[in-house]
Amino acid sequence: MARTFEFHGGVLPPERKQRSLVPLRYAELPKRVVLRLDQHAGRPATATVAVGDTVKVGTPVAQRDGMISANIHASISGQVTHVDTHAITIDGDKTDTWQRLAPIDWRNALPDQLITRLEQSGVVGLGGAGFPTHIKARVSERQRIDTLVVNAAECEPYITADDLTLQHYAADVLEGAQLLASLCGAHHIMVGIEDNKPDAILALRQAMADSQLLTVTLSVIATRYPSGGERQLIKTLLNRDVPNQGLPADVGVLCHNPGTLLAALRSVRDGEPLVERLVTLTGDAITDPGNRWVRIGTPMAALLNEAGLNRAALHQLIQGGPMMGTPLPNLDGSVTKATNCLIAATIDELPPTPPESPCIRCGACEDVCPANLLPQQLHWYARASDDEKLASHRLFDCIECNACGYVCPSHIPLVDDYRSAKSRLRHQQLETAKAEHAKHRFEWRQARLAREQAQKQARRQARLSKQRSSQDADSPAASPQADLRSLRIAQTAAKAAVRKAEKNLARAAQQDPQQAHDDLETQLATAQENLQAAEARLAEARETSEPKETL
Amino acid sequence: MRWVIIATLPGLATMTFFFGLGVISNVLLAAAFGLGFEALILRLRQRPLHPALNDASAVLTGVLLGASLPPASPWWLIGVGMLAAIVVAKQLYGGLGHNPFNPAMVGYALLLVSFPTYMTLWSSPQPLWPDALWSQITGSVSLEQIDSLSGATPLDAFKHKGDGLSASQFWASQPLPSGTLNAWQWIAIAWLAGGSLLLAKRIISWHIPASMLSSMLVIATLLYLFDPSHFASPLLHLLTGAAIFGAFFIATDPVSAATSQRGKLIYGAGIGVLVMLIRTWGGYPDAVAFAVLLMNLCVPLLDLYTIPRPAGAQPAADKERS
Repeated sequence: MARTFEFHGGVLPPERKQRSLVPLRYAELPKRVVLRLDQHAGRPATATVAVGDTVKVGTPVAQRDGMISANIHASISGQVTHVDTHAITIDGDKTDTWQRLAPIDWRNALPDQLITRLEQSGVVGLGGAGFPTHIKARVSERQRIDTLVVNAAECEPYITADDLTLQHYAADVLEGAQLLASLCGAHHIMVGIEDNKPDAILALRQAMADSQLLTVTLSVIATRYPSGGERQLIKTLLNRDVPNQGLPADVGVLCHNPGTLLAALRSVRDGEPLVERLVTLTGDAITDPGNRWVRIGTPMAALLNEAGLNRAALHQLIQGGPMMGTPLPNLDGSVTKATNCLIAATIDELPPTPPESPCIRCGACEDVCPANLLPQQLHWYARASDDEKLASHRLFDCIECNACGYVCPSHIPLVDDYRSAKSRLRHQQLETAKAEHAKHRFEWRQARLAREQAQKQARRQARLSKQRSSQDADSPAASPQADLRSLRIAQTAAKAAVRKAEKNLARAAQQDPQQAHDDLETQLATAQENLQAAEARLAEARETSEPKETL
Repeated sequence: MRWVIIATLPGLATMTFFFGLGVISNVLLAAAFGLGFEALILRLRQRPLHPALNDASAVLTGVLLGASLPPASPWWLIGVGMLAAIVVAKQLYGGLGHNPFNPAMVGYALLLVSFPTYMTLWSSPQPLWPDALWSQITGSVSLEQIDSLSGATPLDAFKHKGDGLSASQFWASQPLPSGTLNAWQWIAIAWLAGGSLLLAKRIISWHIPASMLSSMLVIATLLYLFDPSHFASPLLHLLTGAAIFGAFFIATDPVSAATSQRGKLIYGAGIGVLVMLIRTWGGYPDAVAFAVLLMNLCVPLLDLYTIPRPAGAQPAADKERS
């Protein structure tokens, strides 16, 4: 077993995982699914079906829009009954007929083919953030990756989806890891798992006994929240510090959740798009807890009723874990690609937090902060909107794990404060960036208009002089040649601009999957249009000049 | 905060055993004043009474100030002290969590400067039911009472022994009423027991008490080794004054102390150094209150310069590696 290292802080909340550690089952096929168009990080997808269309399981129903976005597929067979800008509703015909893509032998496939498949299949990170996997897989175009980390820590209380995934599909998960590791050029796979999952560890050991393409190391780490945070896990497994404004890729690491690896493998090997996922159903308000294979878009109410929901006892429904999850106002939602757990909690189980009292600066939060920040100082500055101090105390290094809020004796909702301060600051940045952007765009447009004017002038001049000279004799075609070269240069520059815009967007989106990056998407789209225009002009120029050259 | 109050019980009980019920009446009176002033000010500030009174912080301030004053101090003395502590030092700055200075120590320091006579009236060990209890209610202490009561604390007596007398001569002259030294040492041990409870319950961290006591120990030992006939022994410094009480119950007040772990170490050490400086060369026999207040002043600076390195911060990481 590999040596492990320590990260700062951490807490030990009650695990409460035992309740959902029962054999895996398939949830009932839903009669109707509601597929939200914004169920992944980045931009919402655009619907490509209309009301009345007949779909099979796996039929694409929405197309990714922009670079950071993902395709969505029908998760049951039937008829589209409603489409709007937020969601697509499909009523099932109970036949469950599938439409699969052609299987690919990933060991002998080209990287581009695999990336296209991941993109087509709408595979996103299933750990909760929902970041498109094909973007992550393309990171090796820009940075060298040496290690692929399988993040099976699953440190949040209650959740057992990764645990069960590994218990049942350890070999497939490892094959998925091989697939994505070879795709990004990593030569080493590390599996990080907390020591509270003995069955999953056993299953992994057995699967690892089979010969593997790349070396796989299993690291059993101490159970301590938030050991499954990307930065914390990389620190624990590899003793590498991810730079605070950076990404794991900056230290040569990519992290993937076991569920994602399984989905990636299935999309490639079996041609199955992402239409179902494992969801942990737990909490004291349901009588039949456990992990289920659930079709994306299944209404939560139906799913919970099937698990024996006692509505009278239900106090709070949480999507995700109790530390970082989102409390849901009602049961009207549907399962998305990011839904890893639903906790139907009773009031005794997760009692409401007592009213907040003043901070007494006890420093308990500082002791547990895994990012080694000073949460109570951040709390003062966030409440006082002291932006400079927030920056110098590194508000943006906060990973919002809520360990500080968990230990706070004054019951201060610290992470809520940080989130609102972050979104306020982001908004400010966005506004300045927008103003800057608008200015640039205006200046650029002015320059372009002037340039076009000048070119037109020059062309007219040339035409006139040519008319005059053609009466004398045929002059050598020097100007088309020069034109061609400058067009080629323009095309190369446009290509570089597209690459740069892609890089910027990929970085920003991975650092902040929850945030909209519309400005960067716009920049990328503009760059792409410029490239297309440049290519069109080049092709045109070639056509016009070639006959002359052959003459 | 309730646990802090519970942790004061061994110390209070031991003090009562040696100095009589005047200790308990001090504490009760101070706690009552504390609640009263807090309620009054909250009313004036138009804030809800319940949460603030219920957090027991005013009671704790009362307990700490009551334990610091000479047993059976006059009621008005306690009242003035609590007025300074709760109204001025705490509520005028915005209430719990906003006070830059330790409220109990502000009250104590004010009393020490304003009413030195009353503040040095530490009696010799007393029966459980002392005569002085009556004078607490009348609020006046007659001259003959002062004479009969005026035991000094061991640190006080040692400080004023005069330059001509060497330490061994001083102790040989039996300067204190019998049992005084013994009583103070037992009280210090009882406070240590309460402090250990706080540590065990993780209500306080070890940083401040450890750094404060060890800095005192180091300085006292150096001075003692340099000239044992003029400087008090390290044990006298640690066990007879307010050192233990201050280290576990006063300096650890989280509101007015430094917050980062490095900051806490510096803060505690600073208090230890100041206590030794004032005790040895200053005008007061004990100095925990002044030392704590002076270090309270440094807290914003300490907090600013001891921000820990966030995980993944680059420049510091490079330094660490090289």
